[in-house]
Amino acid sequence: MSAIDNDIAQNARQQHRQLRISILRYDPRDPASTPRMQEYRIEEADSMTLFIALNEIREHQDPTLQFDFVCRAGICGSSAIMVNGRPQLACRTLTRDLPNEITLAPLPFFELIGDLSVNTGKWMRGMSERLQAWLHTKEREVDICRVEERMDPDVAEQIYELDRCIECGCCVAACGTAQMRKDFVGAVGFGKIARFRLDPRDVRTDDDFYELIGDDTGVFGCMSLLACQDVCPKSLPLQTQIAFLRRKMAAQGFTSSTR
Amino acid sequence: MSHETIFIQTGLADKPRKSRWPARLDLLQSTTGLFLALFMWLHMFFVASILVSESAMWTIARFFEGYFFFGKAYSGLVSCVVGFVALAFVAHALLAVRKFPINYQQWRIVRAHTKQMRHEDSTLWIWQVYTGFLLFFLASAHLYQMFFWPEKIGPYLSSDRVWSENLWPFYIVMLLAVELHGGIGLYRLVVKWGWPNAPREALKKVKWALTGFFLVLGLASLAAYMKIGYEHRAYMGEPYTPDWVMEKEANADRGDGQ
Amino acid sequence: MKTVMTDVLVIGGGLAGLRIAIAARKRGHEAVVLSLVPPKRSHSSAAQGGMQASLANVAKGTGDNEDVHFEDTVRGSDWGADQVVARMFVNTAPKAVRELAAWGTPWSRVRGGEHKVIINEQKVTLTERTEAHGLIAQRDFGGTKKWRTCYAADGTGHAMLFTTSNQAICHGVEVHERTEALALIHDGGRCYGAVVRNLITGELVAYLAKATAIAAGGAGRLYSATTSAVICEGMGHGLALETGVAPLGNMEAVQFHPTGIVPSGILVTEGCRGDGGLLRDVNGERFMPHYEPEKKELASRDVVSRRMEEHIRSGKGVSSRFGSHLWLDITLLGRQHIEHNLREVKEICQYFLGIDPAEKWIPVRPTQHYTMGGVRTDHSGQSPWLKGLFAAGEAACWDLHGFNRLGGNSVAETVVAGMIVGEFIADFCDKPENGAPFPLTLAREFVQREEAKLAKLLDGGGRENAFKIYTEMQHVMTDHVGIFRQGDALLAGVAHLQRLRERSAEIGVSGKSRAANPELVAAYRVRRMLKLALAVAQGAYLRTESRGAHFREDFPRRNDKEWLKRTLTFWPDEAATLPRFEYEPLDVMKMELPPGWRGYGAKDYIEHPDTPRRQQEIEAIRSQMEGQDRFAVQETLMPYVGELPASLAGRNERLDEPLEAAQ
Repeated sequence: MSAIDNDIAQNARQQHRQLRISILRYDPRDPASTPRMQEYRIEEADSMTLFIALNEIREHQDPTLQFDFVCRAGICGSSAIMVNGRPQLACRTLTRDLPNEITLAPLPFFELIGDLSVNTGKWMRGMSERLQAWLHTKEREVDICRVEERMDPDVAEQIYELDRCIECGCCVAACGTAQMRKDFVGAVGFGKIARFRLDPRDVRTDDDFYELIGDDTGVFGCMSLLACQDVCPKSLPLQTQIAFLRRKMAAQGFTSSTR
Repeated sequence: MSHETIFIQTGLADKPRKSRWPARLDLLQSTTGLFLALFMWLHMFFVASILVSESAMWTIARFFEGYFFFGKAYSGLVSCVVGFVALAFVAHALLAVRKFPINYQQWRIVRAHTKQMRHEDSTLWIWQVYTGFLLFFLASAHLYQMFFWPEKIGPYLSSDRVWSENLWPFYIVMLLAVELHGGIGLYRLVVKWGWPNAPREALKKVKWALTGFFLVLGLASLAAYMKIGYEHRAYMGEPYTPDWVMEKEANADRGDGQ
Repeated sequence: MKTVMTDVLVIGGGLAGLRIAIAARKRGHEAVVLSLVPPKRSHSSAAQGGMQASLANVAKGTGDNEDVHFEDTVRGSDWGADQVVARMFVNTAPKAVRELAAWGTPWSRVRGGEHKVIINEQKVTLTERTEAHGLIAQRDFGGTKKWRTCYAADGTGHAMLFTTSNQAICHGVEVHERTEALALIHDGGRCYGAVVRNLITGELVAYLAKATAIAAGGAGRLYSATTSAVICEGMGHGLALETGVAPLGNMEAVQFHPTGIVPSGILVTEGCRGDGGLLRDVNGERFMPHYEPEKKELASRDVVSRRMEEHIRSGKGVSSRFGSHLWLDITLLGRQHIEHNLREVKEICQYFLGIDPAEKWIPVRPTQHYTMGGVRTDHSGQSPWLKGLFAAGEAACWDLHGFNRLGGNSVAETVVAGMIVGEFIADFCDKPENGAPFPLTLAREFVQREEAKLAKLLDGGGRENAFKIYTEMQHVMTDHVGIFRQGDALLAGVAHLQRLRERSAEIGVSGKSRAANPELVAAYRVRRMLKLALAVAQGAYLRTESRGAHFREDFPRRNDKEWLKRTLTFWPDEAATLPRFEYEPLDVMKMELPPGWRGYGAKDYIEHPDTPRRQQEIEAIRSQMEGQDRFAVQETLMPYVGELPASLAGRNERLDEPLEAAQ
């Protein structure tokens, strides 16, 4: 049980590394600002995450540096940035897992607010509206005094599994299609559709879902590069779900499209 | 039906119900790809028959010309097959090109994206774009040739084409392009449609093994054709005739003479 | 001056705020939600273990009902709670869970038949009723008599927040993301909205509304070690306090959660202990049974946290470079359970500690977790001092939690208060006298005042560094106003905070951008946070007793005789370095459950003179009404149903309590 103590003791004996962190700096609202990489040097500390490192830079070296953190525990999805070229949650990235030289950039695809901060929230809301990503039930109001409707425990667990998406934007930032097509739904959107399709409370049919994702901005635009699955911080089964949706939506090709 | 174009022109084609064509086209892209990839593998086995013997290759070539059914080679049959493949090829190319970067801006972003991401599946796709682009020309030329001169498929005539007509560099490039493109494409089909639900790492190993196998097979065959072409350079344009055919024909001649 | 006019302005996009907005929209009112971050990133998402509601579906929950939930809540609060509010809450909680179920929350469900669980280190086989199969499941949590905590694995808050946020989108609730309210617009008697800063562009906009609701969460960031998100800076509390007229309630009541991981302070859920996890010391020994033989690891959070600190002080802590800690052992729950029901815990351990909790123990220490104090409101969620100002959730002192909140009651409060207060806000907006015209001149004055404050920070030539003051404040609070409090230390802490407050007037911001500028944000926030810190520290100093989470080593007993009252903190004078305190007594004679022993923790307390009298009265009523149903008895003891909005006043059906029979 003293493994942690051993680790800590071992770390203490080692000298702390000097980290060189290059950060993309740009303020799109300032006409005088041009994009540039700025390098900061800080001494690594034990259990240092990029959350700690970035705050240290802001508090001691550059108070103008913009970045987003909320829960700092890998739960809320705010801190997705490009770390050495790949999207990941900065809050739960330990510096000890990175080389001495670290490059940080904002997520591509999303509207840039400044430096490492992007407007994922705005895009996600648009996506939710476009995909009508809420439960569509038969009755608009249920009697909440009554015992709730039953649901199979396994189905509930499967839905929860897909509901774990935190809308961090990593999947979209990693997606080759999304880089080319700004109107692409992205894995996050497919995850939502798969989630509601699985939910027995949702009354929508494949015909309805086809209206939402049955074109090249939707599931047929996906080229199955699957970087989404590989970078998803919640390890959602995106590959399986997108393939599943593709089969279901392709089957709609054999129904009539005449009005 | 004629109203449809008015709806499309005004941007209302998808109201109130979305067109079913994207689904059909997506399926068509995959099925043409699947067909072409499987055809290419079979084709490779036929071509590789040269490694067995010249006679084996001749037999297969004549087989497709219906020689063993009709007792006479109809090279037009091959043209028909080639024509069908060409149709699939054109359809596949048209459908696939929709997914390509369509301008320099997009191309630059995608290149930078894959470079930064260091993500194998994304990089493989870039290779599919490169090879697909190449095949657009190489496979077209090859199909054209095979369509119009199907009778020139044979142990010597093919070898002459490879060696004496200096087409071996063309075939090396096309071989690499087609094997990479097809291998990656088949792997992509499996993950795209989700069958079997195998882990991608294992799938990719299988994919690379198959690509490796067919490349080796292809290069070996090409070497064989080059060797035969080199040895046959003096008799360029003379088709191969197996001994037993010569005997048969000789017998037939004798019979005629009697 | 740019203005936005609406019916309901909600400050805060977490569960409480979104639920209020949905309620308003459903009643035909416009609602705008202001949120510092995209609403799905709100701190509500961090609630892991679950939400209490007496559904009584699982075997260990049979017999549970509103009465049991009510008593657990009041005992948990150490009798600080408003019992009428607690009644309103426990009656609405089952409705809230069921509403969320109908909206799509993937609650974990009961599996009929036998299953194995760990209770008190023993493998126990429980048999779930077949008729309960597929109903919402409950797990055990601290300070509860029954298994009552409904959950979606250990991502309950996340699942609830996404459901609610999706419903808000479905109902067309406007959310203005990345905006921050800087001041409430009010005339001393009526609140008309807020001055709002766009955090991207820096623009100030006057938002005018019939009703303004503060649902901005807690103030965990007053402390250096906290489980709270970085946005939990008490800005909602600050908005009300800075009006000078609306007071905060019980700010000294600060909860420390027993299991924050060391060193990052990130929470691992109470569900770990609820599901059978144990606390162990440096020798690997389980120590809680020695201190709390009845509830052991599952006493209320204030009690467990204190016992842990006590144990560390007795030299049984595990020393590390980050200070002493104890171990949370969930290895006995088995990998299968951890990977299905405690997934977030597993991820947190993996990413922040580099350990697998199915194999290794988790280093934990009590960590600041919850702000019981908040904007003091009446039963309807409105501030009695400032008409049109409402509050709900952690930002409010409604007062459901008194001096200690039970695990699973906070995330429950967010939605329940959202439902109840939302209805009252809609009622408020329905009344024609509460409508327009809005006082535009007043709004302009407030905008100009905020503009001047920002200008001074940017161009005033101040020399103090906002980040430094911020960090110093956090350390003062952690060192002086922590789990164990003591008069001298508190006094020193207060003095230190007063100095910081004076220094904060001299803060200068080095980056001069008026748009997105993190230093500027830290600067104006820390000045407001210092006021809150002073409210907590001075409130703690003045309260010379121990109650719930507020523990004074120099006054270790609960003193109902002198302190059965709620602290009210006003800040009427901007120049002052200390707030003004008033106290609002709690009337024992109206309580359904008069003060007594909680069933865990210290047994001696100074009794209120009314307690025996009320006790007798209650016994008399109970014996008189013998044979009558529990609802009739309850209504006689302490009527509350009339306080609820009619749509939420109905009784709750249970498997064992069919609705027809009950009514």
